[in-house]
Amino acid sequence: MLVTGIKSKPVYAPLQADTAGRYHLMLGHGVGGAPLLSLLDELGRSGPLSAGRACVLYVADSAAADNFGVRFRTSASDVRFFDRVAELLAEFRTILTGSFMGTRLYVAGPESFIGLAMKIALEFDLNKDEIRAEECGTLARRVYCIHCRATTEQVRTNIVKCIDCGRHLIVRDHYSRRFAAYMGVMVDAEVPGELPPIKENFV
Amino acid sequence: MNAVFKPDESFRDDFKYGNSPHAIRRFPFPFAEDEYMYAVNIEPHLPGPKGSVTEFAIDVDEHYVAECRERAIVLAAEPLRFQALPHMMSAQWDCLELIMESLARDYPEYFTLAKQGTRWNWTNRPLGIQQAFLFGDPATLPQPPLEYITRQAQGDWLVMDQREGDLWVEAGMVTTQADWSLDFDIGMTFKEWHGPVPLAHELGVFERALRYLLNLRLNEPVRRLNWTMTIHPRLDTSPENYPKWGPDRAGVTLQNAGDDAYLRVELQGLWRLPRSNGIVFSVRCYLISMRELVTIPKWAARMHRVLKSLHPALADYKGVSRYRATVAEWLAPYDNGAPTGPGTWPD
Amino acid sequence: MKHAVTIAVEVTAVEQVTPLIKHFTLAPIAGGTMPAFSGGSHIIVVMRRANRVHRNPYSLMSPPGRLEAYEISVRRMEESRGGSHFMHDEVGVGSQLEIAHPVNLFGLDKIARKHVLIAGGIGITPFMAQLQDLHAANVPYEMHYSVRAPEHAAFRDQLIEQEGDRLRMYYDSANELIDFEALLGSQPLGTHVYVCGPAGMIERVIGTARACGWSDSHIHWEQFSAPPVGDAFDAFLARSKLKIHVLPDQSLLESIEAAGVDVPYLCRGGVCGFCHTKVVELEGELIHNDHFLSAEEKASGKFMMPCVSRARCKNLVLDL
Repeated sequence: MLVTGIKSKPVYAPLQADTAGRYHLMLGHGVGGAPLLSLLDELGRSGPLSAGRACVLYVADSAAADNFGVRFRTSASDVRFFDRVAELLAEFRTILTGSFMGTRLYVAGPESFIGLAMKIALEFDLNKDEIRAEECGTLARRVYCIHCRATTEQVRTNIVKCIDCGRHLIVRDHYSRRFAAYMGVMVDAEVPGELPPIKENFV
Repeated sequence: MNAVFKPDESFRDDFKYGNSPHAIRRFPFPFAEDEYMYAVNIEPHLPGPKGSVTEFAIDVDEHYVAECRERAIVLAAEPLRFQALPHMMSAQWDCLELIMESLARDYPEYFTLAKQGTRWNWTNRPLGIQQAFLFGDPATLPQPPLEYITRQAQGDWLVMDQREGDLWVEAGMVTTQADWSLDFDIGMTFKEWHGPVPLAHELGVFERALRYLLNLRLNEPVRRLNWTMTIHPRLDTSPENYPKWGPDRAGVTLQNAGDDAYLRVELQGLWRLPRSNGIVFSVRCYLISMRELVTIPKWAARMHRVLKSLHPALADYKGVSRYRATVAEWLAPYDNGAPTGPGTWPD
Repeated sequence: MKHAVTIAVEVTAVEQVTPLIKHFTLAPIAGGTMPAFSGGSHIIVVMRRANRVHRNPYSLMSPPGRLEAYEISVRRMEESRGGSHFMHDEVGVGSQLEIAHPVNLFGLDKIARKHVLIAGGIGITPFMAQLQDLHAANVPYEMHYSVRAPEHAAFRDQLIEQEGDRLRMYYDSANELIDFEALLGSQPLGTHVYVCGPAGMIERVIGTARACGWSDSHIHWEQFSAPPVGDAFDAFLARSKLKIHVLPDQSLLESIEAAGVDVPYLCRGGVCGFCHTKVVELEGELIHNDHFLSAEEKASGKFMMPCVSRARCKNLVLDL
């Protein structure tokens, strides 16, 4: 018996180059490679992309077999490939440490990837007028259990069993950038066992 | 106002709680009309009538000692109910000054604040506290300044930083909330943390409120009222503890509605803070059972009508959907259908 | 309540710190301390003369931790509408003034990783207070202070002593110009730049920062320009049913206030938007001098900011 239809989700949009920026740092996951390639095209139109002007960090997804590797290499001089998201994010943090004002960040991939990247960007006071994000790939969510504080990954349904405490949680449309996750609240606290229909909302 | 403190009251387990006739008459009944819809409804926080909850900047009532004890219980089990991001220290001191100065000025029989430059001496007689400290030096207090003083003040306290044309909730003491989590929301902007409130966004309520608050001036605080309902006089209705209080909602019957269903009114105050240029938002909770409420005929009738006409989305958001029909039925005999007088005060 | 409740103060010291700048110390007449404030705040000083009331904003310079008195500095303006001349010529030790509570439209960003402060001339004043806040914080910063010549560098010795190599001075007389491109082109992520000084300097800083790719959320500026003068004109206040006549060196806001009508304000400089007023009727043109309305809003003729804007018109009716 909990609220639905509420709106505090982040808003994403198809990536467009912010030509006011001097340095363009791009992070991509899986099919997020496609928007980044368009972005590189767009930036390339105003002049060749010298090293230092654009940098791409990309991690493939087993599902995305689009050969982004080859396509990236012909588009930008500074492209770095990673096998795991955690490695990409560590490199991202290192790059930010040496970056200058005038940097723009672009992130394309599933929301969980965007969220984790934004958490790091937050540490460097990159504000929303310097970050653009496009959500693509799975809509699966990370869910933060408000009762035991565990995070359950890859949630595709509106109700999920918490990975730690086992309670059935309803996934609220309330998102925390700090946790890069949605709030999960026990769905049957009022009448234990009374669950609403389970729907696959975030695929 | 001479409050007789009732230190044995409790807001959990046996729920030993009640309002004196004085507390009932001064209760901040929020409905000026028979139907309820959102409004920004902010007004200057100027002194209200003598004896009222708005007579003073920060109200201390007969539940003061018991509420402070309840807060301590919550914090012992869940320390994350108080949090402050590192850059909020000057705002914490601003709040400590605001609360200490208000309490000492308005309730000299209970509180004393003596200052010699930055050497402050604070006495809280109802809680038996005496503290000498250096204003501005956190090492001279047993807890961070905001935590220290809000353990001695009723209601929740949120502190916002103002930057980038927005307000960010980045420090707070939240133990008496109506179903929201400081731990989850800390770091959010004004519209983000109000995200879950239905309908209001479409009405532009938060856009206007934000613009108003960004220009809030020193020495010109404002206030508004908010309301919901709670089953039992439970202050801690946090999402974290929903498994504990959720079942209460399913247990309301026509027999127990009068004693167990409570109107919960939040008197919210907003002050600009001097050194940090932040804003502090106080959320002070007042609880009254239906049985106590109907001793004021105008309130009985109006409460009945508001509950019956409440928009389903609001009822859902306020968490009253499961029991509102039952409570409305309990109230019905007290509503004679005649027009109710204007305003919120007892006729 | 549009005019904030004011505080009565007495001038307890006046110092000529440069040929053009006077430094005033204001203490509370009622005793006790002044209200605490945040660095970057300004106060409105109410100057009552026989036939005019001036309300001018001045940055608070005193350390925010020292509240026995407030300190402000006033530059004598050549083309003055009277406010700065009043302060220089008619205010001395013992003078009594009213001031409004501090308002901060130029605060330091608390999550910045570095601050770059740029002052031109009298623009040094808000930074004097902010520097005190920065000493307490643990964040790197730089102060760049540009003046005409050494004798015009108010508070230079004090600044050199307290800031050391965090301060860099630039003298026009020695052809030392701030290289904004170099300064803003190589700052680490999370740097914020703050500029206070003449309009031209502010425009150059903003323009250069943007050209270097800085986003607007990291660029902060404050400008206290006097409302531009112009031809006299008339206006009608629809709700108050009052006709007002705006003198050449009087702002529309001041004329409305003189007629007894309160309009909300915070900066009185065309920036904060607080005095936003609807235009009900207009036969003629509005002269927009503000930085608040969008180009569309200005072109629409439906809104204006009376603190700095004027009109050239046969008929002007305002929703006041």
